[in-house]
Amino acid sequence: MRSDALTVASALVAQAREGDLKALESVYLAYQNAVYNLGRRICGNEEDAEDVLQDTFLEVCRSIGKFRGEGSLWGWIRQVAVSKALMLLRRERNRKIHFFGETGGLPEFVGNMPREPAGPIDLETALGRLPPVTRAVLWLHDVEGYTHEEIGQLMGKTASFSKSQLSRAHRRLREWLE
Amino acid sequence: MRVGTNHLEMDELLALRDGEGGASARAHVEACEGCQQELERLYQVRAQLRALSGFAPPRGLWPRVARHVRRRRRLRRRLGYGAVGLAAAAALAGVYVVNDATRGPPAEPLEAWVIEAESQDLGPMISRSRELESLLQTYRPASQVYDAPTALAVSVLEDRILLLDRLLSDSRQLGVKRELLRDLWGERVETLETLVNLELAEPETVWR
Repeated sequence: MRSDALTVASALVAQAREGDLKALESVYLAYQNAVYNLGRRICGNEEDAEDVLQDTFLEVCRSIGKFRGEGSLWGWIRQVAVSKALMLLRRERNRKIHFFGETGGLPEFVGNMPREPAGPIDLETALGRLPPVTRAVLWLHDVEGYTHEEIGQLMGKTASFSKSQLSRAHRRLREWLE
Repeated sequence: MRVGTNHLEMDELLALRDGEGGASARAHVEACEGCQQELERLYQVRAQLRALSGFAPPRGLWPRVARHVRRRRRLRRRLGYGAVGLAAAAALAGVYVVNDATRGPPAEPLEAWVIEAESQDLGPMISRSRELESLLQTYRPASQVYDAPTALAVSVLEDRILLLDRLLSDSRQLGVKRELLRDLWGERVETLETLVNLELAEPETVWR
């Protein structure tokens, strides 16, 4: 969900920056949909999206004093939300490494897909079938407008990694949506 | 994967879609109907992705966040963060003390469960906890600016203390056994020690 149109009155932002809980609640109400949807699209499930929403606003409440008003408030909150969502993906990946080992049990994060669908599927279903990292790159680039350099940086990888994941995503979507 | 023999690769098409493709790729698309269709399809997929309907967030999450924020503020007061975050403006400290006192649980929820734990012979660990808290209160500068990794570490440690305090304060209702209670207090002491070391023993990692 894009939230460029969302704005919060500057007076309210000023109050929130001083720690006013009522003002922070207003900020939460204004951006909860956008943050939840971002989390849901990147992580792919309700539970993690809820964690992203909660962790993001805990961080917003803790750090909004540092928001200097350069750029939009949504831009700043979105940055926090993306970090939290990617952190969850990493945590899940590490958990799988812990249980299955470095080489086993991880293909769904970047590589092989679950069994191929019998026929064409809709975009929503196709998105859900993409490996988490591939889906995250697709969403961040094509919907949220992040550049490959920014995505590479966020993921601790290179811009080339982001580009190759985006190509992979579109190749899979092409196969599945036809 | 090639889109087709002699056609552009997917990454070349995506670069064109994003306005980054080279002149030769652009020239190829102008002359190639297959690649034109493929490029158009990529535009459409992006538009469809942006048009996907949204999900409704769970209700009632804000009170949970607000509760955590209040708890954190109490902890920070107790650990001597002073009024930095709370009272960026002079009046704020008063506002929040009043708000916390009227809306939330008592400002010092520590006491009841501390007394309970003391009666269970956990005195040495509780004394150590108090000693460490007192160290932080006494020596932590009133105004502290951290570099990003230190800020993250402080934040994680504080969250752990909050979680432990929550568990300890609910220990009776949860029917926590004595051994576990001892472990929890032990963990609290260790976490506070790490926090003290981080903040007081390694000034070079902290900007003041």
